[in-house]
This record gives sequence, C-alpha cells and structure tokens, in this order.
Amino acid sequence: MTIEQLNKILLISLLLVCAIWLIIPFTMAVLWSLVDPSEPWTADKVLPPVISLYRWVDMWENSSLKSALIASYTLAPSAALLSLLLAMPTSFALGRLEFPGRELAKMLCLLPLVVPAFITAIFFTSLLYQVGLSSWRPGAILFAHAILFMPFAIRIMTVSFEQVRQDHIDAARNLGASHWARFRVAYLPALKPGIFATLLIVFIQSIEEFAIAFIVGSPDIVTIPTLLYAALGQDYVRPNAAVLSLILVVPNVILMLILERLLRSANPTLSSGKG
Amino acid sequence: MTLRRGLLIIGLLTPGLGLILALIGTVVYIAVSQSFGFYSLNGISEFSTEFWSKMVGRKIFKRSIQYSIYIGVLSAIFSVALAYPLAIWLRKPFAGSNLIGAILKAPLLVHGLVAAFLFVNVISYHGILNQFMQWLGIWSEPRRLQNDPNAYSVLILQTWKNMPFALLLLTGAVQSISDDVLDAARDLGAGKWDRFRRVIAPLTISSMQAAMVIIFIGAVADFSFQVIAGPTNKQSLSQLMVSFKGRGDWHSAAVVGVSLMVIALVGSAILAAVARIIMRGRIK
Repeated sequence: MTIEQLNKILLISLLLVCAIWLIIPFTMAVLWSLVDPSEPWTADKVLPPVISLYRWVDMWENSSLKSALIASYTLAPSAALLSLLLAMPTSFALGRLEFPGRELAKMLCLLPLVVPAFITAIFFTSLLYQVGLSSWRPGAILFAHAILFMPFAIRIMTVSFEQVRQDHIDAARNLGASHWARFRVAYLPALKPGIFATLLIVFIQSIEEFAIAFIVGSPDIVTIPTLLYAALGQDYVRPNAAVLSLILVVPNVILMLILERLLRSANPTLSSGKG
Repeated sequence: MTLRRGLLIIGLLTPGLGLILALIGTVVYIAVSQSFGFYSLNGISEFSTEFWSKMVGRKIFKRSIQYSIYIGVLSAIFSVALAYPLAIWLRKPFAGSNLIGAILKAPLLVHGLVAAFLFVNVISYHGILNQFMQWLGIWSEPRRLQNDPNAYSVLILQTWKNMPFALLLLTGAVQSISDDVLDAARDLGAGKWDRFRRVIAPLTISSMQAAMVIIFIGAVADFSFQVIAGPTNKQSLSQLMVSFKGRGDWHSAAVVGVSLMVIALVGSAILAAVARIIMRGRIK
C-alpha cells in the first residue's frame, strides 16, 4: 500500500469520526431547537413530528435571553477596548524597549491564564465585598474580563510592536514628522492587524467567559453562558437549551474564522487556548 | 539605565502588567488569608488553622482531591497521546490536510457548555446513541449513560475540547523539524518508532510539556463539565469550592481554593518532570 492510499483511507475514516463528532451532535441540537411543543419528540420517531420556530420565538419573548444578549454584547466590546488600551503601553515596552527583566515581565503577563478561573472569580468577589464594591457588578465584571484576557492582548500587541520597522520611524522623524504623525505613518500600519486581532480575541473570550460572569454577576447579571448554564441545570428544558447553545456557538464560529484569517500570517498558538 | 528610563519603563508597565499583578496577587492573597481565618465576611477575623484541620478531616474533601487529580491527569495524557500521531501525520501538507486540520481544530470554537449540552443530548436515555445501539441489536434496552460513576463522560468531553489545543502546539513543533534530520535518521536505519522516540520526541518535548501542563491546570479545575456531565456522587474541587461559597462559608471555600492552586502548581511540575524523564529514558 502506498502512502497516498494510506492517506486516503485515514482521511475517510477521520471524516467519518468527525461526522460523529461534529455533524451528528449539531444536527441533533438544531432538530431539538425546532421541536414544536404541541407534540413531543419521542424515542420511537426518527425526526420531530411537528417542526416550528416556536421555541425560538418563545425564548426571545419570554426568557431573559434578550437581556442576556444585551449584557453579553455590551460587555464584550467594552472589555475588548479596555483590554487593548491597557495593554498598549506594556506591549510597547516589551516590544520596543530593552530592559533587564523583560523576559520575566513577559512570563508574568501570562499569570491570569495559570490561575484557575473559579478561584479568581470567587476571591475577586470576596475582594469586592471587603472593599464594599459588591453592588458594582457590571463594572467589576468588565474590569475582571479586561485584565484576565490581557495576556492575549499583550502577546499579540508585543509581536505587532516588534514588527514596526525602525527605519520607517527614523525616516518619518527625518522628514520632520510630529509624534502623532510618526505614530500614524510608521506604527499604525504595522499595528493594525494586531489591533483587530486583539479586539476580536478579547471579544470572543469575554462573550464565552463563564466563571466570572456566573460568580460575580449572580444573580443580577445574566450573560449568554450563565443563561445556558441555568438552562442545562436547574431549569433543564432540552429544546430551550438547544436554542441557547446555537445562539452562543454560531456567531462565535464566524468571528473565530475571521480571526483565523487575520492571524494566518502570525503564529497560530497566540490566538488559541480558551477553556 | 538611567533613573528616567527606569521610571518610563515602570510607567509603561503599570497599566498592563501592573494591573495583572495587582489583581492576581490580591486574589491569591485573599484566598490564602481567608483560608487562615482572616478577612472574615460574617464573623471575627483572627488567625486560625481550624478551617484547614476541619477540612483535611473531611471525606468529601479527600474524594474531591482524588477525583480532580484523576480528571486532570487523564485528560492531559489522553489529549496529548491523541494529538501526537495526528500532528506527525499532518506534518507535511497533502491533499485535504488543511480540511482535516480545520475539522480537528473545530472544538476550539465550541464553548465548553455547548459541548457538554451536545454530548449529553447524544448520550441521553432516549438519545441517538442509545437508539442506534438498540437498532444494531447490541443493546436490548436503553442504558443510562449520563453522569456515569467513572466520569468517562467528563474525560471524553475534556479530551474533545483539549486535544485540538495540544494538536496546535504539537503541529508547530513537529513542523519545525527539518526533513534533513528525519532523512538522516532513516538513512541510519531508524524505523518509524525509532524516528519518533529518538528524533521527534526529544525535539518536541517542550511543546508537549506546555500542552500537558495547560490542559492539566484547566481540567483539574473543571467545573462546568463536572456539573453537567459528571458523576453525581463525586464533586470536583471547583464544584466543592463554589458550593461552600454559595453557603457563605468563605473560609472553607478558601481552603479548597488554596488546595486547588497548590495541586495545580505541584501537579504541573510533576507532570512536566515525568514527561521529561520518560522521554529521556527513551533517548538512551
């Protein structure tokens, strides 16, 4: 058997495994989200007997879905922007300045990724109680998200700052460009993909984040993941959980594909690693 | 370095690294202090080892530790063991290899809670798996697969979610090995297995350790997979910590939290060291 034949067999078997792994579960979720409550989908039927969008409409009108969507989609862009702004000076220092302890500083920036999320969530809540800010929940979640996902922002922006070419900066300076003009012509073009990638990755991480939103936000603030968690636990209704799963997963897959395109030239390991 | 430059660098690092250190530092400090009775939210704050001694004697705590380590270690091993052959297979591009890479990476895009729901949906009592097995005639009646006592569901979910991450790290490492090195090994008569243990394994060990450690830390602190798909008679450390916190018992939650941090730290070091020793042993 040649290598090509072997690859073909491996390929087909792998696609089969992936069908079981991805296609079947997602098809089941789509079908469950379409089950009409007038007739239940029992085990003896291959497909749901009555199909309708009732569950989608019902979830939209009669659950906290709307407020969860608003909360998630206001929180995430704010966290992305805040994280980017806070990460910029540090990334500039790490990417363009030589100083003793730079490697150590780079390592320390990864700290939020090593401490388990639930520990951060619980003792951050405790801290909020200690300093009397426990009613400041939306701000607290925003602050925590911006800082916890800053490792991604710092890593990406450090690489972007490293890629700014010194001769461009020097040329701009020789031509008499002001600080702002130098930033615009020499830095910005090299930083742009990094800025987009940072905004996108923190956005996605924040939309998906569960521990902080669940512990710090409960019970007042509902995001999509905490709503899904509730739908899977205390009020488990399978079609509703299916609707929520699809609402959480579909936009993120599209955003991730855009991110992948943005980062194709960059190191892929920078953009991954969510749990 | 002049004083001015030093101040400039510190000033630049403060909003980013400074805030990270402040937040994580405070969180760890509060956790450790609360585990020793300080910063009480509903009583007197004074030094006490009572919370530790009480917790250590509890059966539920011991079981949680064992269970979390079981999940953490096995998830890391399974993910890396599955990712290695795939990374080597995908080392050189061939027709369809991009598609395979994309499909294998897909779980990275799926939220853990969604993955848990999809999985529970498939294995439920009247789910498609049960029906399929009955249709094949292998099982005569549906079986209860959800929340199985050995936590196979949790292990499957962890591996499903984390294998792509290990694959990402290992693919990078495996692809950076030049053909010359592998050809040289082949010329010297090394078979497939020898090429793996003498060339690929030693050259990719740091990526492998990184993957192991990151997956271990994530899995040992698992909450959502355990709550949704895990055994009902066992609790993971995160779950135990959340339940103490829910009852307002912050000090016990802190004891569990600090233990979890120590286990994550020590466990990572042991895993990384063991991986290195095993690989070294093979190189001889």
